[in-house]
Amino acid sequence: MKTTGWNLKRNVTFQLFVLPALIGYLIFYIYPLVQTFIYSFTNYSLYHLDMEWIGIDNYTRLFKDDSVIIGIKNTVIYALLITLLQNGLAIPLAIALNRPLKSRNGLRLVFFAPAVLSPLVVGFLWSYLMSSTDYGLINQALRAIGLNDVNWLGNPKLALYSILLTQVWQWTGYAMVIYLANLQGISKDYYEAASIDGAKAWTVFRQITLPLLLPSISFNTVMGMIGGLKVFDVIFAMTGGGPGHSTETIVMTLINKGITESQFGYGSSFAVVFSLLIMIVAFIQLKVLKKWEERLF
Amino acid sequence: MKKALRVVASLLLCSAILSACGGNGNNTGSESPAPTNNSASNNTEEATVKIIGFNKEETRKSYLELLRQQFPNYDIQFQFVDNKQFKNVVTTYLASGEGPDIIEGTESSWIAAGYLEDLTNQPFVSRYYDTGIKGFTQNGKVYAIPLQSWFEGIWYNKEIFAQNNLTPPKSFDEWMELHDTLRNAGVKPQAMGAKSWESMMKQSIGVALNDFYSKPEGKDFDGKFGTGEATLSEAWLSAFKKWDETIAKKNLTPDMLGVEYDQALDEFATGKAAMWESGPWAYETLLQKNPNLKLGMFPIPGSAEGSGWLVGGPGSSWSVNKNAKNKDAALKVLDFTSTPEAQAALIKDNFGTSFLEGVDNSGIPEQYADSKAAFDEGHVYVPWGNWGTLAGNDIIMELGKQLQDHLAGVKSIEEVLKNTDKKAEEIRNSMK
Amino acid sequence: MKTIDSYRRSDLILEILLIILALGMVVPIYYLFITTFKSSIDATLHPMWLPVEWKFLGYVEAWKAMNYPRVFLNNLVITVSSVAGVLLFASLAAYSFARRQTRLNNFIFYLILIGVTVPFQVATIPLFRLISNLGLIDNPAAVIFVNIFTLISFNIFLIKNFINTVPMELEESASIDGCGVTGTFFRITLPLLLPVIATVAILNTLTTWNDFFSPLLFLQSREKGVILQEVYRNIGKFSVDWTAFFPMMVLGIAPLLAFYVFMQRFIISGITTGAVKG
Repeated sequence: MKTTGWNLKRNVTFQLFVLPALIGYLIFYIYPLVQTFIYSFTNYSLYHLDMEWIGIDNYTRLFKDDSVIIGIKNTVIYALLITLLQNGLAIPLAIALNRPLKSRNGLRLVFFAPAVLSPLVVGFLWSYLMSSTDYGLINQALRAIGLNDVNWLGNPKLALYSILLTQVWQWTGYAMVIYLANLQGISKDYYEAASIDGAKAWTVFRQITLPLLLPSISFNTVMGMIGGLKVFDVIFAMTGGGPGHSTETIVMTLINKGITESQFGYGSSFAVVFSLLIMIVAFIQLKVLKKWEERLF
Repeated sequence: MKKALRVVASLLLCSAILSACGGNGNNTGSESPAPTNNSASNNTEEATVKIIGFNKEETRKSYLELLRQQFPNYDIQFQFVDNKQFKNVVTTYLASGEGPDIIEGTESSWIAAGYLEDLTNQPFVSRYYDTGIKGFTQNGKVYAIPLQSWFEGIWYNKEIFAQNNLTPPKSFDEWMELHDTLRNAGVKPQAMGAKSWESMMKQSIGVALNDFYSKPEGKDFDGKFGTGEATLSEAWLSAFKKWDETIAKKNLTPDMLGVEYDQALDEFATGKAAMWESGPWAYETLLQKNPNLKLGMFPIPGSAEGSGWLVGGPGSSWSVNKNAKNKDAALKVLDFTSTPEAQAALIKDNFGTSFLEGVDNSGIPEQYADSKAAFDEGHVYVPWGNWGTLAGNDIIMELGKQLQDHLAGVKSIEEVLKNTDKKAEEIRNSMK
Repeated sequence: MKTIDSYRRSDLILEILLIILALGMVVPIYYLFITTFKSSIDATLHPMWLPVEWKFLGYVEAWKAMNYPRVFLNNLVITVSSVAGVLLFASLAAYSFARRQTRLNNFIFYLILIGVTVPFQVATIPLFRLISNLGLIDNPAAVIFVNIFTLISFNIFLIKNFINTVPMELEESASIDGCGVTGTFFRITLPLLLPVIATVAILNTLTTWNDFFSPLLFLQSREKGVILQEVYRNIGKFSVDWTAFFPMMVLGIAPLLAFYVFMQRFIISGITTGAVKG
């Protein structure tokens, strides 16, 4: 193909535009990712600084490792629940706020606000609120109405859900705001037509609103799942993974094994499994959403 | 174009493999030790000495003041890191070739990776009793000097005890009865910050010290456990089952799992609870919170009547970062620490006995009088210091976490010990 | 005529319920702020009332204990550098991907898309050792570089999508006039990208300012730490005087909260544009 000098210069410049991003991305993202993959087949640790190839031994060890299984279980439960709750609450809220309410902007301001707070501080704050001491606000309130104290963060069966609660508080507004914007972009004509036809509210929701919310549902649920799977700050702040191992999440276990216990190889195999998990989850979600989209349109 | 891509991709893979196999990541960038502080230096060399520890600064106050007086030309910096994150933070520092000069404690992984300075030939090492040095020796090399011994027992509120006609218990059953009496009098018997993995772990081991270690079969156990020839499930089970009675009797309750160390300290200091397991480091803080507090400490009792045992041993220690920027200054600090004067300063804020030869340890402060018998009989011990290469926090941390699950009713005592054995096995395997 | 949109009685009830809900949502934040002015006894006895005696000393002490100016500056430097860096590199790359669809570019684009799904935390271990080997431990540059190149995928994705909606005519006429690629980009395209740039700038700011994970891993000494690290350092220090920790938490969230209060319309519209168009 003949290229003039000018065209060549253009082509080169275009490619150069990509270069800074690409180089940095390769160094700080791809390279560590590849190394993770490689380490996962070695016994690299502080005891084996000259690492040796051990094949899939790390992976077989993973399946027998209770803390790994707990970490994955906790994280998946957490991610599913946060996505469900956050969106399950945000959609009705958005629909409600879509009404011509006088205080809509103020309401939106308030509901969204927790999202700009650091999850770490949110974790600390709620630790105080949920504490079992005499200054724990929630238990104080329960006592005031005659109920018993709840061991929010000390009960291994409850702790994860207590943390979940704080995150629903923190992030529902975020999702709501996105749904609200989506809703406001929907033409009123649809609803007018529906009301003329005498359609019931639930039918309107299912046939009109929900399908048209698909873009924001996709966005929010995918973000919700990925965010849920990599949760760290708030759990770190509230329980550090305890009591026992009941609130340990994947990222936390990864740090424990890979950095605290300096088992770089073993930790990396866990990391590989983690990334597979995310890719599978994302893949399933996108497939489901696509199918839904095809069914509706 | 495609071919170029493949070349690039394979180059990338190659370099990834090569650099990973180079394995000297922890040492690059630090191959140039600072030679400016020569051993021929006199005390006028300026240097910064960074100490990192998991005991709060207020427990090192007198000692640090003394250091600064002794070395006015040094900038002595102390960094406190909570025990939960301590190993993480220090490992990170050491792996990066940077970091503090003096570290509180040793870990066998740090020794294996060559991060800690070999102190065997340092002149000050020989000034210590063997019992103090043994726990910090691996493969015949010494990696740290012991600070004052630490110990943990049961603090009790003397006034509350007197009001209820109680005295420190001589046996575990007596201790349980004591709890009942207090409860019936409307006082919370025991405070415990079970959110931390340490409290229950130490208390249960305390009973094991009484019931297992004082017997002949207990003598060699730790060595055998270190090499994998013995398990906790066999050795500690009956002692742990005995200790478990305290949970069955609801002296320790699940809600304590949400209580932090500082909160439990507070409960005890303000008289809300009559007992609290802790050590000398809490003494000053307790009195600060409540200057009128009359307290004493008794050892953890066992099934049989006796003087009880304190959980404790050669305290924490100072080790030196092999890649320390100011190694000479750090070694000088260690040298000075190995003097009676410095040991006294350490003990002042956080009572313990010194392992330095020639230091008079006979004076036990009044608040520990109830534990005197245990001291006299040498009933102060921690098993995990003598687990050889398994020494370190990983296993006891797992034990503590398992006990948390047990307190919550999720695991049985048998499972607790079995899972801890499993962890030990895992660590042993990873070292091969 | 009553349309679907007119305010009905059911709306009034709805509004009242929502206001009650909103007030409930605010309670934790209110509690946080009000406690900063109370003594611990006051806060334990009357958690929700206004302070019996207003204590401002807590903030002064927190400010000093956290060495707030220094950590604020560290936070600011890291956030501004990260956001500026990622915006620049991402828009350059996105422009190339959008306007020049070669096989190479497409391959690189898909490579970069991996970064949108797989979080960089997966590669924490080697990343940590990489930073270590580069001698960047305890250097804010470590956090900045990691921020830039782990956010870049998402940014490129959003910006590219937006560029696709910008008509090419303006650029074509510019190039006919002899404007080079660089010139066209900076003078014509970039100004048109302002809406999406604003969006991602805000999203990036929110993410990087509150980032705790990277600073925790890479910034070890107090001098280099960020605000949240100071907050974290102080948890557990106060038992009797537990209210002393609260001003520290407030100082931790205050900058972004202030940013939000002043820019909220902007922030919300930015996020929604990104989400709906992305």
